[in-house]
Amino acid sequence: MNTSLFVDIVFILLALFAVYTGWRVFRTDSMVRASFFLLLSFIAVGAIMLLLSAMYLGVAMFFMMGVEMMVMALFMVMFMMNPAGLNPMMMVHQHRLSIGAGIASFVILGAMALLATFPDRPLPEGLEPVSSLGHELLGDSMLIFESAGVVLLATMIGVVVLSGQRGRFGSAQEGSMPPGLEPGGDPAGMPQEDDEAGGGHHHCH
Amino acid sequence: MILDQLIWPLLLVFAALVLGPYWLAVLDGLAARSFGLAQAQSVWISPLSRGAWLLTQQTNMTEAPDWWAWRLAPALYLSLAAIGLALVPWSREWVATDIATSLVLWGSVEALATVVIFLQGWSANTLLTLIGAYRYVALGLSYILISMFVLIGVALPAESLALTQVVASQQELWNVLRQPLGLPLFLIVGLALTFRGPFNLADSTDLAGGTSADVSGPQRLVWELARSAMLVAFSGIATTAFLGGWLGPWLPGPLWVALKMLAVLALLAWLSRAFARITPERCVSLMWTVLLPLAFVDLIWAGAEALL
Repeated sequence: MNTSLFVDIVFILLALFAVYTGWRVFRTDSMVRASFFLLLSFIAVGAIMLLLSAMYLGVAMFFMMGVEMMVMALFMVMFMMNPAGLNPMMMVHQHRLSIGAGIASFVILGAMALLATFPDRPLPEGLEPVSSLGHELLGDSMLIFESAGVVLLATMIGVVVLSGQRGRFGSAQEGSMPPGLEPGGDPAGMPQEDDEAGGGHHHCH
Repeated sequence: MILDQLIWPLLLVFAALVLGPYWLAVLDGLAARSFGLAQAQSVWISPLSRGAWLLTQQTNMTEAPDWWAWRLAPALYLSLAAIGLALVPWSREWVATDIATSLVLWGSVEALATVVIFLQGWSANTLLTLIGAYRYVALGLSYILISMFVLIGVALPAESLALTQVVASQQELWNVLRQPLGLPLFLIVGLALTFRGPFNLADSTDLAGGTSADVSGPQRLVWELARSAMLVAFSGIATTAFLGGWLGPWLPGPLWVALKMLAVLALLAWLSRAFARITPERCVSLMWTVLLPLAFVDLIWAGAEALL
Protein backbone atom coordinates (compact mmCIF):
# COMPACT_ATOMS: atom_id res chain seq x y z
CA MET A 1 0.00 0.00 0.00
CA ASN A 2 2.74 2.40 1.02
CA THR A 3 4.82 1.58 -2.02
CA SER A 4 1.92 2.15 -4.38
CA LEU A 5 1.18 5.56 -2.82
CA PHE A 6 4.84 6.50 -3.22
CA VAL A 7 4.78 5.34 -6.84
CA ASP A 8 1.62 7.38 -7.47
CA ILE A 9 3.17 10.54 -6.04
CA VAL A 10 6.37 10.08 -8.07
CA PHE A 11 4.31 9.41 -11.19
CA ILE A 12 2.28 12.60 -10.76
CA LEU A 13 5.39 14.70 -10.13
CA LEU A 14 7.19 13.25 -13.16
CA ALA A 15 4.13 13.68 -15.37
CA LEU A 16 3.76 17.33 -14.33
CA PHE A 17 7.48 17.90 -14.94
CA ALA A 18 7.24 16.28 -18.38
CA VAL A 19 4.29 18.48 -19.36
CA TYR A 20 5.89 21.65 -17.94
CA THR A 21 9.21 21.12 -19.74
CA GLY A 22 7.34 20.12 -22.90
CA TRP A 23 5.47 23.45 -22.72
CA ARG A 24 8.75 25.33 -22.15
CA VAL A 25 10.07 23.92 -25.45
CA PHE A 26 7.72 26.27 -27.29
CA ARG A 27 8.01 29.24 -24.96
CA THR A 28 11.80 29.52 -24.82
CA ASP A 29 13.73 31.72 -27.23
CA SER A 30 16.72 29.56 -28.18
CA MET A 31 17.08 26.36 -30.13
CA VAL A 32 19.60 24.86 -27.71
CA ARG A 33 17.32 25.56 -24.75
CA ALA A 34 14.35 24.12 -26.64
CA SER A 35 16.27 20.88 -27.39
CA PHE A 36 17.32 20.42 -23.79
CA PHE A 37 13.86 21.20 -22.41
CA LEU A 38 12.62 18.45 -24.71
CA LEU A 39 15.38 16.22 -23.33
CA LEU A 40 14.21 16.93 -19.76
CA SER A 41 10.66 16.06 -20.79
CA PHE A 42 11.80 12.77 -22.28
CA ILE A 43 13.90 11.96 -19.20
CA ALA A 44 10.77 12.36 -17.05
CA VAL A 45 8.89 10.05 -19.44
CA GLY A 46 11.77 7.53 -19.23
CA ALA A 47 11.54 7.61 -15.43
CA ILE A 48 7.78 6.96 -15.71
CA MET A 49 8.60 3.94 -17.88
CA LEU A 50 10.92 2.72 -15.11
CA LEU A 51 7.96 3.03 -12.72
CA LEU A 52 6.03 0.81 -15.16
CA SER A 53 8.80 -1.83 -14.79
CA ALA A 54 10.07 -1.27 -18.35
CA MET A 55 13.64 -1.48 -17.03
CA TYR A 56 15.39 -1.55 -20.38
CA LEU A 57 13.16 0.80 -22.38
CA GLY A 58 13.15 3.42 -19.62
CA VAL A 59 16.93 3.51 -19.33
CA ALA A 60 17.32 3.31 -23.12
CA MET A 61 15.16 6.46 -23.30
CA PHE A 62 17.84 8.35 -21.31
CA PHE A 63 20.78 7.60 -23.58
CA MET A 64 18.85 7.66 -26.85
CA MET A 65 17.29 11.04 -26.13
CA GLY A 66 20.55 12.35 -24.64
CA VAL A 67 22.48 11.72 -27.84
CA GLU A 68 19.54 12.59 -30.09
CA MET A 69 18.83 16.00 -28.55
CA MET A 70 22.56 16.77 -28.44
CA VAL A 71 22.94 16.05 -32.15
CA MET A 72 19.74 17.97 -32.91
CA ALA A 73 20.93 21.06 -31.01
CA LEU A 74 24.31 20.88 -32.72
CA PHE A 75 22.89 20.71 -36.24
CA MET A 76 20.17 23.29 -35.68
CA VAL A 77 22.73 25.81 -34.49
CA MET A 78 25.07 24.91 -37.36
CA PHE A 79 22.45 25.32 -40.08
CA MET A 80 20.43 28.24 -38.78
CA MET A 81 23.20 30.84 -38.62
CA ASN A 82 22.19 31.91 -35.14
CA PRO A 83 25.50 32.31 -33.34
CA ALA A 84 25.56 29.50 -30.79
CA GLY A 85 21.78 29.61 -30.51
CA LEU A 86 22.03 32.33 -27.87
CA ASN A 87 20.41 35.05 -29.97
CA PRO A 88 16.78 35.32 -28.94
CA MET A 89 14.48 33.99 -31.65
CA MET A 90 10.86 32.96 -31.97
CA MET A 91 10.58 29.19 -31.73
CA VAL A 92 7.15 28.84 -33.34
CA HIS A 93 5.62 29.87 -36.62
CA GLN A 94 2.16 29.60 -38.27
CA HIS A 95 0.66 30.55 -34.92
CA ARG A 96 -3.04 30.02 -35.67
CA LEU A 97 -2.54 26.66 -37.35
CA SER A 98 -0.22 25.35 -34.63
CA ILE A 99 -2.50 26.54 -31.81
CA GLY A 100 -5.44 24.82 -33.52
CA ALA A 101 -3.48 21.63 -34.15
CA GLY A 102 -2.19 21.65 -30.56
CA ILE A 103 -5.66 22.04 -29.04
CA ALA A 104 -7.14 19.40 -31.36
CA SER A 105 -4.48 16.80 -30.62
CA PHE A 106 -4.64 17.55 -26.87
CA VAL A 107 -8.43 17.05 -26.87
CA ILE A 108 -8.19 13.82 -28.91
CA LEU A 109 -5.37 12.31 -26.81
CA GLY A 110 -6.98 13.46 -23.56
CA ALA A 111 -10.31 11.97 -24.58
CA MET A 112 -8.59 8.71 -25.47
CA ALA A 113 -6.84 8.61 -22.09
CA LEU A 114 -10.03 9.34 -20.19
CA LEU A 115 -12.65 7.44 -22.19
CA ALA A 116 -10.81 4.33 -23.40
CA THR A 117 -11.01 1.23 -21.23
CA PHE A 118 -7.52 -0.02 -20.54
CA PRO A 119 -6.98 -3.74 -19.86
CA ASP A 120 -6.20 -4.51 -16.22
CA ARG A 121 -3.36 -6.99 -16.49
CA PRO A 122 -1.02 -7.08 -13.50
CA LEU A 123 2.52 -8.24 -14.19
CA PRO A 124 2.72 -12.05 -14.12
CA GLU A 125 4.85 -13.56 -11.35
CA GLY A 126 8.48 -14.02 -12.25
CA LEU A 127 8.38 -11.86 -15.37
CA GLU A 128 11.83 -10.72 -16.44
CA PRO A 129 11.16 -7.61 -18.53
CA VAL A 130 14.67 -7.36 -19.98
CA SER A 131 14.98 -10.94 -21.22
CA SER A 132 11.37 -11.04 -22.46
CA LEU A 133 12.11 -7.89 -24.48
CA GLY A 134 15.23 -9.59 -25.83
CA HIS A 135 13.23 -12.65 -26.86
CA GLU A 136 10.73 -10.39 -28.60
CA LEU A 137 13.45 -8.45 -30.45
CA LEU A 138 15.26 -11.60 -31.58
CA GLY A 139 12.12 -13.71 -32.03
CA ASP A 140 9.14 -12.75 -34.16
CA SER A 141 10.37 -9.21 -34.80
CA MET A 142 13.92 -10.25 -35.67
CA LEU A 143 13.68 -9.46 -39.41
CA ILE A 144 12.53 -5.87 -38.82
CA PHE A 145 15.07 -5.05 -36.13
CA GLU A 146 18.00 -6.78 -37.77
CA SER A 147 17.40 -5.14 -41.17
CA ALA A 148 17.06 -1.73 -39.48
CA GLY A 149 20.25 -2.42 -37.51
CA VAL A 150 22.26 -3.43 -40.59
CA VAL A 151 21.03 -0.37 -42.53
CA LEU A 152 22.06 1.93 -39.66
CA LEU A 153 25.48 0.28 -39.36
CA ALA A 154 26.04 0.59 -43.11
CA THR A 155 25.07 4.27 -42.89
CA MET A 156 27.54 4.87 -40.08
CA ILE A 157 30.38 3.16 -41.92
CA GLY A 158 29.48 5.09 -45.08
CA VAL A 159 29.55 8.41 -43.25
CA VAL A 160 32.94 7.62 -41.72
CA VAL A 161 34.34 6.62 -45.14
CA LEU A 162 32.99 9.77 -46.80
CA SER A 163 34.03 12.20 -44.07
CA GLY A 164 37.27 10.59 -42.92
CA GLN A 165 40.51 12.42 -43.50
CA ARG A 166 41.68 9.72 -45.88
CA GLY A 167 38.66 8.89 -47.97
CA ARG A 168 38.38 6.77 -51.10
CA PHE A 169 39.95 9.49 -53.24
CA GLY A 170 43.02 10.17 -51.12
CA SER A 171 43.67 12.70 -48.40
CA ALA A 172 40.88 15.18 -47.83
CA GLN A 173 43.32 18.08 -47.55
CA GLU A 174 45.06 17.57 -50.89
CA GLY A 175 44.04 19.15 -54.17
CA SER A 176 40.58 20.11 -53.04
CA MET A 177 39.23 22.99 -55.12
CA PRO A 178 36.01 24.95 -54.75
CA PRO A 179 33.61 24.43 -57.69
CA GLY A 180 33.33 27.10 -60.38
CA LEU A 181 30.62 29.72 -60.44
CA GLU A 182 29.56 28.54 -63.93
CA PRO A 183 29.81 24.98 -65.28
CA GLY A 184 33.43 24.27 -66.19
CA GLY A 185 34.56 27.69 -64.95
CA ASP A 186 37.55 28.56 -62.77
CA PRO A 187 37.37 27.64 -59.08
CA ALA A 188 35.36 30.27 -57.25
CA GLY A 189 37.22 32.59 -54.91
CA MET A 190 40.65 31.53 -56.20
CA PRO A 191 41.81 34.12 -58.78
CA GLN A 192 44.70 33.30 -61.11
CA GLU A 193 48.07 34.06 -59.51
CA ASP A 194 49.45 37.26 -61.02
CA ASP A 195 53.22 36.89 -61.61
CA GLU A 196 53.90 40.65 -61.50
CA ALA A 197 52.21 41.05 -58.13
CA GLY A 198 54.95 39.02 -56.52
CA GLY A 199 52.74 37.89 -53.72
CA GLY A 200 52.35 41.38 -52.27
CA HIS A 201 49.20 43.33 -51.67
CA HIS A 202 47.77 45.80 -54.15
CA HIS A 203 47.32 49.21 -52.72
CA CYS A 204 45.03 51.58 -54.56
CA HIS A 205 45.98 55.18 -54.12
CA MET B 1 18.33 -5.37 5.87
CA ILE B 2 17.99 -1.60 5.39
CA LEU B 3 21.57 -1.32 6.65
CA ASP B 4 22.85 -3.63 3.90
CA GLN B 5 20.66 -2.33 1.09
CA LEU B 6 20.76 1.39 1.77
CA ILE B 7 23.01 2.76 4.52
CA TRP B 8 26.36 1.08 3.84
CA PRO B 9 26.24 1.34 0.03
CA LEU B 10 25.23 5.02 0.19
CA LEU B 11 27.99 5.78 2.72
CA LEU B 12 30.51 4.12 0.41
CA VAL B 13 29.21 6.10 -2.59
CA PHE B 14 29.59 9.41 -0.72
CA ALA B 15 33.00 8.38 0.60
CA ALA B 16 34.15 7.59 -2.94
CA LEU B 17 32.66 10.87 -4.17
CA VAL B 18 34.65 12.88 -1.60
CA LEU B 19 37.83 10.85 -1.13
CA GLY B 20 38.14 9.63 -4.73
CA PRO B 21 38.90 13.03 -6.32
CA TYR B 22 41.39 13.77 -3.51
CA TRP B 23 43.18 10.48 -4.07
CA LEU B 24 43.20 11.11 -7.81
CA ALA B 25 44.82 14.53 -7.21
CA VAL B 26 47.44 12.92 -4.96
CA LEU B 27 48.14 10.19 -7.52
CA ASP B 28 48.40 12.83 -10.22
CA GLY B 29 50.94 14.70 -8.09
CA LEU B 30 52.95 11.51 -7.59
CA ALA B 31 52.81 10.81 -11.34
CA ALA B 32 54.07 14.33 -12.03
CA ARG B 33 56.90 13.81 -9.56
CA SER B 34 57.83 10.52 -11.21
CA PHE B 35 58.40 12.50 -14.41
CA GLY B 36 60.65 14.90 -12.53
CA LEU B 37 58.23 17.83 -12.35
CA ALA B 38 59.06 19.82 -9.25
CA GLN B 39 56.23 20.85 -6.96
CA ALA B 40 56.31 23.60 -4.40
CA GLN B 41 54.06 21.82 -1.93
CA SER B 42 53.69 18.28 -0.73
CA VAL B 43 51.40 16.22 -2.98
CA TRP B 44 49.15 15.56 0.02
CA ILE B 45 48.55 19.22 0.80
CA SER B 46 48.44 20.85 -2.64
CA PRO B 47 44.98 19.50 -3.73
CA LEU B 48 43.52 20.85 -0.50
CA SER B 49 45.15 24.27 -0.83
CA ARG B 50 44.05 24.52 -4.47
CA GLY B 51 40.51 23.69 -3.38
CA ALA B 52 40.61 26.31 -0.63
CA TRP B 53 42.02 28.87 -3.06
CA LEU B 54 39.21 28.24 -5.57
CA LEU B 55 36.61 28.36 -2.80
CA THR B 56 37.67 31.86 -1.76
CA GLN B 57 38.17 33.19 -5.29
CA GLN B 58 35.48 35.49 -6.67
CA THR B 59 33.05 34.05 -9.20
CA ASN B 60 33.58 35.29 -12.73
CA MET B 61 30.80 36.67 -14.90
CA THR B 62 30.38 36.78 -18.65
CA GLU B 63 28.11 38.86 -20.86
CA ALA B 64 24.55 37.48 -20.93
CA PRO B 65 25.19 33.83 -20.13
CA ASP B 66 22.41 31.27 -19.80
CA TRP B 67 22.43 31.58 -16.01
CA TRP B 68 20.57 28.39 -15.19
CA ALA B 69 22.66 26.16 -17.40
CA TRP B 70 25.92 27.89 -16.49
CA ARG B 71 25.40 27.54 -12.75
CA LEU B 72 23.94 24.06 -12.95
CA ALA B 73 26.30 22.36 -15.46
CA PRO B 74 29.13 21.60 -12.94
CA ALA B 75 26.60 20.32 -10.38
CA LEU B 76 24.89 18.18 -13.01
CA TYR B 77 28.22 16.67 -14.08
CA LEU B 78 28.95 15.89 -10.43
CA SER B 79 25.54 14.25 -10.00
CA LEU B 80 26.13 12.12 -13.11
CA ALA B 81 29.38 10.96 -11.50
CA ALA B 82 27.40 10.16 -8.32
CA ILE B 83 24.88 8.12 -10.36
CA GLY B 84 27.80 6.22 -11.90
CA LEU B 85 29.30 5.51 -8.47
CA ALA B 86 25.90 4.35 -7.19
CA LEU B 87 25.92 1.60 -9.83
CA VAL B 88 29.18 0.06 -8.58
CA PRO B 89 28.50 -3.12 -6.57
CA TRP B 90 30.73 -3.04 -3.46
CA SER B 91 29.90 -6.65 -2.59
CA ARG B 92 27.18 -9.15 -3.41
CA GLU B 93 24.75 -7.36 -1.08
CA TRP B 94 26.04 -3.80 -0.96
CA VAL B 95 24.77 -2.15 -4.15
CA ALA B 96 23.25 1.33 -3.97
CA THR B 97 21.32 1.05 -7.27
CA ASP B 98 20.73 -2.62 -7.97
CA ILE B 99 18.64 -2.67 -11.14
CA ALA B 100 18.52 -5.23 -13.95
CA THR B 101 19.94 -2.76 -16.50
CA SER B 102 22.71 -1.03 -14.55
CA LEU B 103 25.15 -1.49 -17.46
CA VAL B 104 22.77 0.42 -19.77
CA LEU B 105 22.26 3.11 -17.12
CA TRP B 106 26.04 3.67 -17.11
CA GLY B 107 25.80 4.13 -20.89
CA SER B 108 23.13 6.77 -20.28
CA VAL B 109 25.43 8.54 -17.81
CA GLU B 110 28.09 8.75 -20.52
CA ALA B 111 25.57 10.08 -23.05
CA LEU B 112 24.12 12.67 -20.67
CA ALA B 113 27.65 13.74 -19.69
CA THR B 114 28.05 14.89 -23.30
CA VAL B 115 25.00 17.13 -22.90
CA VAL B 116 26.27 18.55 -19.61
CA ILE B 117 29.77 19.27 -20.95
CA PHE B 118 28.22 21.00 -23.96
CA LEU B 119 26.00 23.08 -21.65
CA GLN B 120 29.01 24.11 -19.57
CA GLY B 121 30.78 25.49 -22.64
CA TRP B 122 27.76 26.85 -24.48
CA SER B 123 26.02 28.64 -21.62
CA ALA B 124 28.96 30.95 -20.83
CA ASN B 125 28.26 32.79 -24.13
CA THR B 126 31.94 33.26 -24.92
CA LEU B 127 34.08 32.12 -27.84
CA LEU B 128 36.65 29.68 -26.47
CA THR B 129 34.26 27.90 -24.13
CA LEU B 130 31.91 27.35 -27.07
CA ILE B 131 34.70 25.90 -29.23
CA GLY B 132 35.57 23.51 -26.40
CA ALA B 133 31.91 22.47 -26.13
CA TYR B 134 31.52 21.83 -29.87
CA ARG B 135 34.80 19.96 -29.93
CA TYR B 136 33.67 17.66 -27.14
CA VAL B 137 30.34 16.92 -28.82
CA ALA B 138 32.04 16.19 -32.15
CA LEU B 139 34.35 13.69 -30.44
CA GLY B 140 31.99 12.44 -27.72
CA LEU B 141 29.88 10.28 -30.02
CA SER B 142 32.87 8.10 -30.91
CA TYR B 143 33.81 7.75 -27.22
CA ILE B 144 30.30 6.58 -26.36
CA LEU B 145 30.21 4.06 -29.24
CA ILE B 146 33.52 2.47 -28.23
CA SER B 147 32.39 2.25 -24.62
CA MET B 148 29.05 0.65 -25.63
CA PHE B 149 30.66 -2.09 -27.72
CA VAL B 150 33.19 -2.89 -25.01
CA LEU B 151 30.46 -3.07 -22.37
CA ILE B 152 28.21 -5.28 -24.54
CA GLY B 153 31.26 -7.55 -24.62
CA VAL B 154 31.25 -7.97 -20.83
CA ALA B 155 27.46 -8.44 -20.77
CA LEU B 156 27.74 -11.46 -23.11
CA PRO B 157 29.43 -13.95 -20.75
CA ALA B 158 27.29 -12.66 -17.85
CA GLU B 159 24.09 -13.16 -19.90
CA SER B 160 22.75 -10.14 -18.05
CA LEU B 161 22.82 -6.33 -18.12
CA ALA B 162 23.17 -6.13 -14.32
CA LEU B 163 26.66 -5.26 -13.03
CA THR B 164 26.30 -7.72 -10.12
CA GLN B 165 25.88 -10.53 -12.67
CA VAL B 166 28.86 -9.21 -14.64
CA VAL B 167 30.99 -9.56 -11.49
CA ALA B 168 29.56 -13.00 -10.70
CA SER B 169 30.42 -14.19 -14.23
CA GLN B 170 34.12 -13.46 -13.53
CA GLN B 171 34.36 -16.03 -10.75
CA GLU B 172 36.70 -18.28 -12.76
CA LEU B 173 38.44 -15.77 -15.00
CA TRP B 174 38.43 -11.97 -14.88
CA ASN B 175 37.31 -10.19 -18.03
CA VAL B 176 40.65 -8.40 -18.26
CA LEU B 177 42.13 -11.76 -19.32
CA ARG B 178 39.05 -13.21 -21.01
CA GLN B 179 38.65 -10.15 -23.27
CA PRO B 180 42.15 -8.63 -23.43
CA LEU B 181 41.12 -5.70 -25.65
CA GLY B 182 38.33 -4.59 -23.33
CA LEU B 183 40.12 -2.88 -20.46
CA PRO B 184 42.66 -0.90 -22.56
CA LEU B 185 39.88 0.45 -24.79
CA PHE B 186 37.72 1.24 -21.76
CA LEU B 187 40.58 3.13 -20.05
CA ILE B 188 41.10 5.25 -23.18
CA VAL B 189 37.38 6.04 -23.14
CA GLY B 190 37.73 7.01 -19.47
CA LEU B 191 40.48 9.53 -20.20
CA ALA B 192 38.50 10.85 -23.17
CA LEU B 193 35.23 11.16 -21.26
CA THR B 194 36.81 13.23 -18.49
CA PHE B 195 39.13 14.98 -20.99
CA ARG B 196 42.42 14.26 -19.28
CA GLY B 197 45.97 13.88 -20.51
CA PRO B 198 46.26 12.96 -24.19
CA PHE B 199 42.51 13.41 -24.74
CA ASN B 200 42.12 16.75 -22.98
CA LEU B 201 40.54 18.47 -25.98
CA ALA B 202 37.49 20.12 -24.42
CA ASP B 203 39.31 21.98 -21.62
CA SER B 204 42.70 22.13 -23.31
CA THR B 205 45.40 24.77 -23.11
CA ASP B 206 45.11 25.59 -26.84
CA LEU B 207 41.64 26.95 -26.00
CA ALA B 208 42.88 28.70 -22.84
CA GLY B 209 40.89 26.25 -20.72
CA GLY B 210 38.11 25.37 -23.17
CA THR B 211 34.67 24.87 -21.65
CA SER B 212 35.87 26.20 -18.29
CA ALA B 213 37.92 29.11 -19.67
CA ASP B 214 35.66 31.71 -18.09
CA VAL B 215 34.68 29.78 -14.99
CA SER B 216 36.27 30.70 -11.65
CA GLY B 217 35.76 30.39 -7.95
CA PRO B 218 33.53 27.77 -6.34
CA GLN B 219 31.90 27.01 -9.70
CA ARG B 220 35.29 26.00 -11.08
CA LEU B 221 36.02 23.96 -7.96
CA VAL B 222 32.80 21.99 -8.51
CA TRP B 223 33.69 21.49 -12.19
CA GLU B 224 37.16 20.14 -11.39
CA LEU B 225 35.73 18.00 -8.60
CA ALA B 226 33.10 16.65 -11.00
CA ARG B 227 35.69 15.78 -13.67
CA SER B 228 37.72 13.88 -11.10
CA ALA B 229 34.65 12.23 -9.58
CA MET B 230 33.58 11.08 -13.05
CA LEU B 231 36.97 9.40 -13.51
CA VAL B 232 36.57 7.79 -10.08
CA ALA B 233 33.14 6.48 -11.12
CA PHE B 234 34.76 5.29 -14.33
CA SER B 235 37.42 3.38 -12.39
CA GLY B 236 34.59 1.82 -10.36
CA ILE B 237 32.85 0.60 -13.50
CA ALA B 238 36.18 -0.61 -14.97
CA THR B 239 36.85 -2.54 -11.74
CA THR B 240 33.39 -4.09 -11.89
CA ALA B 241 33.39 -4.92 -15.58
CA PHE B 242 36.96 -6.14 -16.05
CA LEU B 243 38.77 -6.67 -12.73
CA GLY B 244 36.31 -8.94 -10.95
CA GLY B 245 34.77 -6.26 -8.70
CA TRP B 246 34.49 -7.53 -5.13
CA LEU B 247 36.09 -10.92 -5.96
CA GLY B 248 39.39 -11.64 -4.24
CA PRO B 249 40.88 -13.70 -1.42
CA TRP B 250 41.29 -12.78 2.29
CA LEU B 251 40.02 -9.21 2.27
CA PRO B 252 36.34 -8.19 2.40
CA GLY B 253 34.66 -7.27 -0.93
CA PRO B 254 34.37 -3.47 -0.54
CA LEU B 255 38.07 -3.24 0.31
CA TRP B 256 38.95 -5.17 -2.84
CA VAL B 257 36.80 -2.82 -4.93
CA ALA B 258 38.49 0.23 -3.36
CA LEU B 259 41.99 -1.19 -3.91
CA LYS B 260 41.29 -2.08 -7.54
CA MET B 261 39.77 1.37 -8.13
CA LEU B 262 42.90 2.97 -6.70
CA ALA B 263 45.09 0.84 -8.95
CA VAL B 264 43.05 1.86 -12.02
CA LEU B 265 43.21 5.52 -10.96
CA ALA B 266 46.99 5.30 -10.49
CA LEU B 267 47.36 3.83 -13.98
CA LEU B 268 45.11 6.53 -15.47
CA ALA B 269 47.00 9.30 -13.62
CA TRP B 270 50.30 7.95 -14.95
CA LEU B 271 48.94 7.57 -18.50
CA SER B 272 47.62 11.12 -18.57
CA ARG B 273 51.06 12.44 -17.60
CA ALA B 274 52.98 10.07 -19.91
CA PHE B 275 51.33 11.07 -23.19
CA ALA B 276 51.06 14.47 -24.80
CA ARG B 277 47.75 15.88 -25.96
CA ILE B 278 46.90 14.85 -29.51
CA THR B 279 45.32 17.22 -32.03
CA PRO B 280 41.52 17.02 -32.44
CA GLU B 281 41.69 15.97 -36.12
CA ARG B 282 43.99 13.07 -35.33
CA CYS B 283 41.82 12.15 -32.37
CA VAL B 284 38.78 11.81 -34.68
CA SER B 285 40.75 9.55 -37.05
CA LEU B 286 42.15 7.52 -34.16
CA MET B 287 38.74 7.00 -32.61
CA TRP B 288 36.82 6.08 -35.76
CA THR B 289 39.40 4.21 -37.81
CA VAL B 290 41.51 2.47 -35.15
CA LEU B 291 39.75 2.20 -31.80
CA LEU B 292 36.18 1.64 -33.02
CA PRO B 293 37.20 -1.29 -35.29
CA LEU B 294 39.20 -2.65 -32.32
CA ALA B 295 36.01 -2.43 -30.25
CA PHE B 296 34.25 -4.48 -32.98
CA VAL B 297 37.07 -7.06 -32.75
CA ASP B 298 36.61 -7.13 -28.97
CA LEU B 299 32.88 -7.75 -29.40
CA ILE B 300 33.44 -10.53 -31.96
CA TRP B 301 36.02 -12.07 -29.61
CA ALA B 302 33.53 -11.95 -26.73
CA GLY B 303 30.79 -13.46 -28.92
CA ALA B 304 33.01 -16.29 -30.17
CA GLU B 305 34.15 -16.95 -26.60
CA ALA B 306 30.54 -17.08 -25.40
CA LEU B 307 29.61 -19.54 -28.17
CA LEU B 308 32.49 -21.95 -27.45
